[in-house]
Amino acid sequence: MSALIQLKNVKKTYKRGKESITIFDGLNLTIEQGDFVAIMGPSGSGKTTLLNLLGGTDRSDSGEINFDGERIDGYNEGQLAGWRARSVGFIFQFYNLMPVLNAAQNVELPLMLTKLSAGKRRANVETALKIVGLWDRAKHRPKELSGGQQQRVAIARAIVSDPKFLLCDEPTGDLDRNTANDILGTLQQLNQEMGKTIVMVTHDPEAARFAKRTLHLDKGVFAEVTQ
Amino acid sequence: MSLLNQTGSVIAMNVRSIPQRLWMSLATVGSIALVVAVLLGFLALANGFNQTLKGSGAPDVAIALRDGSAAELNSVISREQIDLLGQGPGVRAGPDGRPLISAELVLIVDGIKKSTDTKANMPLRGIGSNGLLVRPQAKITQGRMFTPGSNEIVVGAGLLREFSGFELGKTLRFGAQTWKVVGVFEAPGTVFESELWADAPVIQSLFKRGSTFQTARVGLTSPAAMPAFVKYVKDEQRLQLKAQSEQTYFADQAERSGLLIKYFGWPLGIIMAIGALAGALNTMYASVSSRAAEIATLRVIGFSGFSAFVGTMVEALVLSALGALVGVAICSVGFNGLSASTLGAGFTQVAFRLQIGPDIISQAVTLALIIGLIGGIFPGLRASRQRPLLALAT
Amino acid sequence: MTDFDLVWKNLFRKPLRTILLTVSIFMAFLIFGILTSLNVALDRASESGSASNRLVVSNKINFTQSMPYAYVNRVAAIPGVTAVTYQNWFGAYYQDQRTSRFVGFAVDPETYMAIFRDEARLTDAERQAFLSERTGVIVGKSLADRYGWRVGQTIPISSNIYSQANGRRSWDMKISGIFTGAKPTDPTTAIYFHYDYMNETITFERDQVGTITVVTASPDQNDQVAKAIDANFANSPAETSTVDEKTFSRAFLKQAGDLNFIVTMVVSAAFAAILMIVSTTLVSAMRERTKEIGVMKTLGFSSPRVLRMVLGEAVLLSSLGAVLGLGTSAFILTGLSKSPVGSSFGDLSMSPVVALSGLALAVSLGLVTGAIPALSALRMSIIEALNRG
Ligand SMILES: Nc1ncnc2c1ncn2[C@@H]1O[C@H](COP(=O)(O)OP(=O)(O)O)[C@@H](O)[C@H]1O
Ligand SMILES: [Mg+2]
Repeated sequence: MSALIQLKNVKKTYKRGKESITIFDGLNLTIEQGDFVAIMGPSGSGKTTLLNLLGGTDRSDSGEINFDGERIDGYNEGQLAGWRARSVGFIFQFYNLMPVLNAAQNVELPLMLTKLSAGKRRANVETALKIVGLWDRAKHRPKELSGGQQQRVAIARAIVSDPKFLLCDEPTGDLDRNTANDILGTLQQLNQEMGKTIVMVTHDPEAARFAKRTLHLDKGVFAEVTQ
Repeated sequence: MSLLNQTGSVIAMNVRSIPQRLWMSLATVGSIALVVAVLLGFLALANGFNQTLKGSGAPDVAIALRDGSAAELNSVISREQIDLLGQGPGVRAGPDGRPLISAELVLIVDGIKKSTDTKANMPLRGIGSNGLLVRPQAKITQGRMFTPGSNEIVVGAGLLREFSGFELGKTLRFGAQTWKVVGVFEAPGTVFESELWADAPVIQSLFKRGSTFQTARVGLTSPAAMPAFVKYVKDEQRLQLKAQSEQTYFADQAERSGLLIKYFGWPLGIIMAIGALAGALNTMYASVSSRAAEIATLRVIGFSGFSAFVGTMVEALVLSALGALVGVAICSVGFNGLSASTLGAGFTQVAFRLQIGPDIISQAVTLALIIGLIGGIFPGLRASRQRPLLALAT
Repeated sequence: MTDFDLVWKNLFRKPLRTILLTVSIFMAFLIFGILTSLNVALDRASESGSASNRLVVSNKINFTQSMPYAYVNRVAAIPGVTAVTYQNWFGAYYQDQRTSRFVGFAVDPETYMAIFRDEARLTDAERQAFLSERTGVIVGKSLADRYGWRVGQTIPISSNIYSQANGRRSWDMKISGIFTGAKPTDPTTAIYFHYDYMNETITFERDQVGTITVVTASPDQNDQVAKAIDANFANSPAETSTVDEKTFSRAFLKQAGDLNFIVTMVVSAAFAAILMIVSTTLVSAMRERTKEIGVMKTLGFSSPRVLRMVLGEAVLLSSLGAVLGLGTSAFILTGLSKSPVGSSFGDLSMSPVVALSGLALAVSLGLVTGAIPALSALRMSIIEALNRG
């Protein structure tokens, strides 16, 4: 297995007025291709910050961030946006679907960033929605779907342009146990059957069990690694 | 808590929350202010013109024109007709003991309108010594009155304000003759202020009018003498003239200027008002939806739907009243007393001032409040229908 | 799905809000469409029937003062003048002085028809009839339609200035022809009849002419010819003022008031109002969508693309209101053109220039109102956006 993600000596500080809070001071992390990593840790330990750095939605102060052998910390905003569109799928705690679009249109959104033909797009949307088991709800607006269904649509949206890498920030934080397990099962399936590399932040030890390994983050350091 | 108390506290909450939607609320106030300003501008324009015409006519002065002439310009009156008029009933005697009749003629000369820098028609009126007696409002304020028999002109202050070419001391050429402006007269709020006056016999001879005049203004002993005099002129076969009170003569002209307001001012005001109303509705709907949770909470506590309705209503009315206030202020500072001129019924320019009065202010403010009322009703109804629990969930 | 679909769907997220905004914009463009077209029509009316190589000679004191008839031949003799004709304003009306006044001129038929051949179009037969009939009159098509006049009919035309030596106030005139304008839309609400017929019968102002129309060899000689004419009559009892036709009619129109100024003020007020309404509403509408914009950016939509979509939404909104507003005003103008009041303005219909400048205005309005929300969408960092509401 080769490394998909490599963080070397990454530093990240937030400034709040005159005060500055150091979140990471020399963080190192390697994630192999095809891995499914759960990240746990107390509130405020920097989990979301880490996801933002991994997804290129925030910038580190120093250090290297490599993706598939390329340094993405040097990318400009436009390059980062393009890279995210090609390589990363995002799944949020609160789904973040567009209320004015139906399920199929929400899933199609990332394909607007590709040059695929209309027919190919339709086929991809159908495939993605079938994978999450919601093809029959394609025409429904988010308002007309349950939380679990909305999160499935969000997963479909994350995988529709076939990125290698999925980032999930507490994807089941707002769902009941059974629904959560369904979602987690789907993620596991994506990891095992389609080879997606997944990094998932969670508070829930049950959820972490679906991952291949779990990292514990505390005060900006990985305290413990369980295989 | 009584309904009154409830409503009072909801109103207070509403009004206090306006700053949360500061920009939208300001836009509503601003757009209503503009509607009020535009409407008020037109109303003040027409009002000023009307007041000037109405202020020009005296009830105890009869004006006689050739029968069939609507304006002085198209009228012809001879010396003999003037003498006959003097024999009419109720004619006042002048200081010289003879009937107080001002025989006049008007011709049009060019002035330059300052605002557009284009030629405009100025009335050059030939009057005699009785001219000032039938116009007690007129007073020479600079220089002096023209000397009878000389090529001298006095100019109205309104004309000087709006047109150039007739400044005091200036020498003018009309055809082969030169004239000198020797005085300025004021006759505030009348059309006469937009005129040039000179000695009638001089004008008759220099402009080859023989001994004819165009109008006669006849001073009567009292307004009550008017009907008898009018009837005398109508029945006297040798006259072929038509007399009416100067007041009626100018009131007729004023009536026609109402068209500007009817066909321009109000339609524009209403179209703009609808545009502003749409803005007000948006603001008020935004207000209701931003306070949905608050309203629902109040309903849970036991506040009535009515108080929610009134709260929204009052907020809308406060915004529109503020708008009206700003609009009236803009107009009072920017337009009131502004000098303007237009072509009057005599085919010559009439200078007047835009005039804002209580009646037109109340018309414009009413329009603003109607915007507020409609802008509050529908969002208010939505607020009053807010279910106590449903909204809490969201 | 295209960017446009997305913009369109966002635009109608809260249909009531969008409809209300469209109404605001609609009203502003209604005002713009109607007022600007009226203004254009008036401008055009002052120019219709004016040619660049024609001058108007009038009495320097004022154009209502007349000049001696002898001036006609003296003007014709001035170098650079290729043709002259003359006319007297008659103050014409038919039956009722208050309600049926119209433009009426006493003219010299032969020279008049030669110079104004295009402005008053007649058949050869009508032209011949007008020349040979001393009491002949040619009437505009609009007037003929209004009063049901036919060629050959004799009509009484009165003057609010002149009366006949025999005491009558009206002249019997025989309709020699009904003329149409150069363009079907030109106003044809005037009559022209023989100067001689009038001159021989009036009680005063005999052998005087009102204005003299001069045709110059070419427009570049206008100034020189005008100066020569005025110099010729300097220091005489009736000095002249000679200007080109356009200047003459413009100055006349300006007498009523500065319509340009009023139109500009009202249109600016209307636009200032909707600018405030639309931009503040769009700002608050975009604020509600901050998080969605953050999500779009996370998915990989570039900031410029998001900016374009937000601006596109504002432009779409203003164009929607503008197209409806301009369309409605075009419709109203067509109706006005057919009404008696409107027809005297000539062609009132919306010109392409007005329509295009309206659309340009709509686009700028959209760009201005969308600017604030678009810029904040451009600048917003993803983390900030996602952390919001
Ligand atoms: N944009 C920001 N500006 C300033 N401080 C921030 C910002 N985002 C996060 N932080 C701070 O950084 C720390 C880590 O935050 P976060 O990564 O969200 O933690 P977690 O997701 O593990 O709860 C917290 O103390 C938080 O207050
Ligand atoms: Mg977090």
